[in-house]
Amino acid sequence: MLVLALALALGITLGLLTNVSVPLGMLTYLGVAVLAAIDACFGGVKASLEGTFDDKVFISGFLTSTLMAAFIVFVGDRIGVRELYLAAVVAFGMRIFENLGSVRRLMFARWGWE
Amino acid sequence: MKVHHLPSRETFTHLKDASKKGLHASERAVGRSVNEARLMASLAVGLLLVGFLLVAQWRGAATFTRSLDRQSDQNLAIIIQEIAAENNALRGEIVRLQMRLMETGMESEDRSRVLNEAAKEMQAVRLVSGLDAVSGPGIVVAISDPERVLLPQDFVRLVHELRAGGAEAIAVNGTRVSATSGFAGGDGSIIINDVVFSRTYEVSVVGDPDNLAQALELPGGLRSTLLTFPGVNVEISPAEEVRVAAGLHGEFVYAQKVENP
Repeated sequence: MLVLALALALGITLGLLTNVSVPLGMLTYLGVAVLAAIDACFGGVKASLEGTFDDKVFISGFLTSTLMAAFIVFVGDRIGVRELYLAAVVAFGMRIFENLGSVRRLMFARWGWE
Repeated sequence: MKVHHLPSRETFTHLKDASKKGLHASERAVGRSVNEARLMASLAVGLLLVGFLLVAQWRGAATFTRSLDRQSDQNLAIIIQEIAAENNALRGEIVRLQMRLMETGMESEDRSRVLNEAAKEMQAVRLVSGLDAVSGPGIVVAISDPERVLLPQDFVRLVHELRAGGAEAIAVNGTRVSATSGFAGGDGSIIINDVVFSRTYEVSVVGDPDNLAQALELPGGLRSTLLTFPGVNVEISPAEEVRVAAGLHGEFVYAQKVENP
């Protein structure tokens, strides 16, 4: 767990150091992609706690959900349904909270707090 | 005879099982740690990416909120009003500064003009009062008086005739005849500005040579009068360049300037 926190901190530090900024046009796409990435990470943590973690599944899931999320928003923009990104946001938001709940319960189970 | 009991088949099986078990356990442990490492590595990479993207997104969103696209119509109206007011104020400032610049320019122009005029006037006054050496076309009047018969009034008359002929500067033997100069003496010598001369006089005059010569050579004029005196000779020669020395600066002791006459 410490390694994961360190990795997150390292990513944030890298972002701060490299001073990258998303261009305005890409803002929505990357926003949804970030949500997808967060969801994938929570899913991975959950799976690892359950003992069903598979790195191939995780990596492919991470890549496809981020890319697909951005793609869905793009398509929505192109076909005039700009609100399509809301669907992605809602879906990923719900999944994030579900995964978070599962992780919490699994942690309790592991530490024997149940 | 000692009978060697071979280990029974069960024992072997048992041993084999045990080793097998042990092997499996270590293998499993190795497999698990490898699995764990891969899990951690991939999750760590994922989280690293998430952190990086979060920061980038954060920055982009911050610029987006500041950008005008994001503002509501009301806010935009307020911003426009503020900018217009600022614009007006700045325009006023520009006009004010331009006026000040113009005023200053005119003031300095005025001042330099006044200074120029004052300098010109000063120059003229200095010339008229004989404070500066001058040169220019004119005539030289050489008067010889070996018998010492000339009187101061002859020179007064000479100077008057020359001034009537348009003389701008007059000097007698290098002594400037200015507005305050007078002729004194007698007994064959002339005193101008406290300098005593006798016998030979060279009068340098700057002015129109023809007019000056005419003023002296008029029939019944000064020249003919002087020539009637015994021994006196008068030579008038026009010159392209006559140099007249500067006079001394007189000090006024009694005269005071009258303000607002």
